[in-house]
Amino acid sequence: MAFVPDYPVETARLRLRPFTRGDVEAVFAYRQRADVARYLFDEPMSRESCTEVVQARVGQTGFEQEGDKIFLAVERLEDSAMIGEVSLILRSLESRQAELGYIFNPDFHGLGYATEASRALLALGFEGAAMHRIHARCDARNVASWKVMERLGMRREAHFHEHVLVKGVWDEELIYAMLEDEWRTRRDA
Amino acid sequence: MSASDLPIETERLILRHFEKSDLDSIMAYHLLPEVQRYLDRKARDKTECKAALDGMCAQRRLHRPGDTLTLAVARKSDELLIGQASLRWTDATAGQAEVRFVFNPTFCRQGYATEAVRAAFDLGFDHFGFHRIFARCGAKNHASARLMKGLGMRLEAHYREHALFQGEWDEELHFAILDREWRRGTKVKEIPTHLVA
Repeated sequence: MAFVPDYPVETARLRLRPFTRGDVEAVFAYRQRADVARYLFDEPMSRESCTEVVQARVGQTGFEQEGDKIFLAVERLEDSAMIGEVSLILRSLESRQAELGYIFNPDFHGLGYATEASRALLALGFEGAAMHRIHARCDARNVASWKVMERLGMRREAHFHEHVLVKGVWDEELIYAMLEDEWRTRRDA
Repeated sequence: MSASDLPIETERLILRHFEKSDLDSIMAYHLLPEVQRYLDRKARDKTECKAALDGMCAQRRLHRPGDTLTLAVARKSDELLIGQASLRWTDATAGQAEVRFVFNPTFCRQGYATEAVRAAFDLGFDHFGFHRIFARCGAKNHASARLMKGLGMRLEAHYREHALFQGEWDEELHFAILDREWRRGTKVKEIPTHLVA
């Protein structure tokens, strides 16, 4: 398949666009924070690590084969502040499965930005890339994150208990998912 | 880790390694279409059943993550082989294993599968020291789901249309139980009240 959306993608308050090398400082601003790293697989990052992360994200803007990733920087329209990132990973071509992800700077939490940006990415996934099911996961303690999934209308499909050790601690993980017909029903409601 | 405690005896069953001589017994259920669906490898004729049996005969110990220990389940009363249960070691650091089982439908509804899986849990938690054992089944496989719930497993996941399975959208359930939950549920036997002075 070949799927590359037209960028930027705009919502009411946000702009989703491919990463550029100039995003390092904005990414460092949130990836250096312990409260952000707490629920990610990574530890708080140095500026050097962020440079590598951003470089790896540049150019990941479309789907062609399984495992391909779309990483988009999220900016506020009003002041072009880079407030976070969203991602969509093509997990299975045959069964049209993708995984949604997001990381936002806590300075901009609580304003509905993560929900707004993720909804735009679900639209790209279901309508642009013709995905059948999109899932997302988070640490069960990350209440703000799974609240976003619930606001998006995703269903809780899994709650795993102590199924893996993450950073030396027993993990509890939630998986939420949405099917293409559920997306359409919500959109047309 | 070896399973030196084999064979395992339960009230009505013996769990032992598979032997080459089990071919006819496994063909009796592997060849059934309703069983076929849940097998790891195709077993549509005698040659394929023999290959499947060879594979199961070789699954005798858990040395490293990824290894599977497969047990033949036979009735004590007549030594008839009625099914199989296996433990697959999936994760060393987190002590995770998957239990799988397949039984000859002729001997269903008599609690044999429950009795065998219970023995597999004892082996997994007590002998191998696993932290968590999980099991999966199709959402329409009500008998398996009931068995897992009956053993005190928790339904941790219900995936809908997350994959294509033999050309159809799959719906899958995940059940799991932790070592401390299994021990609490089965090891601490309460003294029957009529025996309390």
